[in-house]
Amino acid sequence: MSTTTTSDRPASGIETKATHDSLADRVRAMQSVWILGVLVVIVAIFGVMQPSTFLTTGNLTNIAQNVSIWAVLAVGMTFVIITAGIDLSVGSVLVVSSVVAAKVMESMGDTGWGTALVGLVLSVVVGVFWGGLNGLLVAKAKVPPLIVTLGTLSVALGSAQILTGGLDIRSAPRVLQDSIGYGRLAGVPAITLIALVIVVIGGVILHRTRFGRYTYAIGSNEVSARRVGINVDRKLVEIYAFSGFLAGVAGILSLAQYGTTTIAGQSLTNLNVIAAVVIGGTSIFGGQGSMFGSMVGLFIPAVLQAGFVIIGVSPYWQTVAVGSILIAAVYVDQHRRAAAVRAG
Amino acid sequence: MRSTLRSTAAVLGAALALAACSSGAPSADSSGDSGGSDNKTIAFVQGVAGDEFYITMQCGIEEKAKELGYTVTTQGPQKFDPTLQKPIVDSVTASKPAALLVAPTDVQAMQAPLEQAAAAGIKVVLVDTTVNDPSFAVSQISSDNIGGGKAAFEAIQEAKPDGGKVLVISTDPGISTVDARVDGFEEATKGDSSFTYLGVQYSHNDPATAANLVSAALQKDPDIVGIFATNLFAAEGSATGVRQAGAKDVTIVGFDAGPNQIKALQDGTVQALVAQQPSTIGMDGVEQADAALTGGSVEKEIQTGFTIITKDNLSGEGGDAAYKSTC
Repeated sequence: MSTTTTSDRPASGIETKATHDSLADRVRAMQSVWILGVLVVIVAIFGVMQPSTFLTTGNLTNIAQNVSIWAVLAVGMTFVIITAGIDLSVGSVLVVSSVVAAKVMESMGDTGWGTALVGLVLSVVVGVFWGGLNGLLVAKAKVPPLIVTLGTLSVALGSAQILTGGLDIRSAPRVLQDSIGYGRLAGVPAITLIALVIVVIGGVILHRTRFGRYTYAIGSNEVSARRVGINVDRKLVEIYAFSGFLAGVAGILSLAQYGTTTIAGQSLTNLNVIAAVVIGGTSIFGGQGSMFGSMVGLFIPAVLQAGFVIIGVSPYWQTVAVGSILIAAVYVDQHRRAAAVRAG
Repeated sequence: MRSTLRSTAAVLGAALALAACSSGAPSADSSGDSGGSDNKTIAFVQGVAGDEFYITMQCGIEEKAKELGYTVTTQGPQKFDPTLQKPIVDSVTASKPAALLVAPTDVQAMQAPLEQAAAAGIKVVLVDTTVNDPSFAVSQISSDNIGGGKAAFEAIQEAKPDGGKVLVISTDPGISTVDARVDGFEEATKGDSSFTYLGVQYSHNDPATAANLVSAALQKDPDIVGIFATNLFAAEGSATGVRQAGAKDVTIVGFDAGPNQIKALQDGTVQALVAQQPSTIGMDGVEQADAALTGGSVEKEIQTGFTIITKDNLSGEGGDAAYKSTC
């Protein structure tokens, strides 16, 4: 997801936020702008330290490729967190979707595009099922999202293990791996382009449609949203189902990238995606956030990790760095909000 | 607005400080930029960071590398997980070391990233684990894992000559080395009719899961006489599980010999350990990489042996085979 394609967006006043006096004020008040500054500084530091290896197109496309799957998940996660919810189950839903798809594709025996398409549809259906289940439990059964998705995290992963006996399926259609997982279009990894399209569509839905505005409304004040006539329950089911849908898409992308269902993997995917969304300025209390911010938030840990590996920092420092940035970002967010309230 | 400015400065400051940590961090050596023929860097990507097996391997690598005049940078994912290891391998490839010693975390998922590394001109040596098609690698060095599984069964056989039910607690399916250990164990069990093989349970590299699996298995079959735990975490968890279930007469044979296993052996919770030779694997890996770089003769495949550690040989040969937590 190149930041260049989306970097003009904050200036168009995307964040739904209390009114500010001028455009300049509004831009400055955006978490995503500050955090973009942090990203630029990090890139610059690594660029100065290791210009011949860090600032190479090879390295930068690798970084973009490695965040692609997380980016798809982060789109859904941004919606969910803006409603003041959380979705811990994305990694498991990704796994179970890819398992169902891989099993059926394996039984079809064929390795062409037809099979891949069937796999995609199945993966998405499974994803929507789990997401919809999350949504129903959150909206109708009134179980807190943290608990619901913690539960489905286990149930979905367990289902994947039951379906496969715990054995990864390693027979993803060759076309998927060759053209999507490792294919390139004009030097850009295909998987990154796909993720970029999804991010842009997700951004448009969030910032430019009624569905997106309702998402903010629910997160800002659920009771008010109900009183003004928004069908909050239905919207919540749709939003969680959307997150599940994207986890299904990510499941196919993961099959394409790794050629295996990674049942034992993806264990930290949910936390990494949530961290990215929060670093990007989406408030866990709901009602605030932007797609652009989530993407910047996704790149900070990825760039830090790539940079640290290249300059040879011990892996333990990488974890420390990402955690510190997360806390610092939320600290800034809180300060900014308190200031806005005082100024308001 | 001023407070916002100040706190943003704080974030930037933190980022700068963290980036600056690199210069002071251990084994930080920004020498990966040469790429020329005098490139003397070896990168080592572990299967998981902080595991004594890989730390001991790292010690062997660093020792041999120093002797041959290479510098080593070591990286490892937080978990034994290809989705976390792939980005690290990609970044290492971008840093252009002369050679890459790597323990792949999945036979399929790590195939393409490592092929890419080899295509970038890096000499790839697979240590411990392997991939589906390792033809791009200059050499593969691993323990003879089937033999290791057999050795584990022999240890149980010795402790329980009358036979009985035996169980395997493994980590995750699909890890070539671990699967081979289980195969070796199963094969050996089937060769002795007095033993019943109860199959394999997967603990997902989590001691707590292994403990649960073992205590549940003991509920079902209270007469289990032996458990083969295929790695460090599985053995730790199995010992806990046996204790939780209040079982007394179960012989646990662990694979690997980290400080905690040695402690468990001393305490009598684990009765025998099958120790690999990670330090030798690491040294051989550097030797093969060096041979590939200098045009020497390279051995495509090397298998290293095992040491069985029991309480009896702990002060001698067994103790020397124990893994280290620091070099």
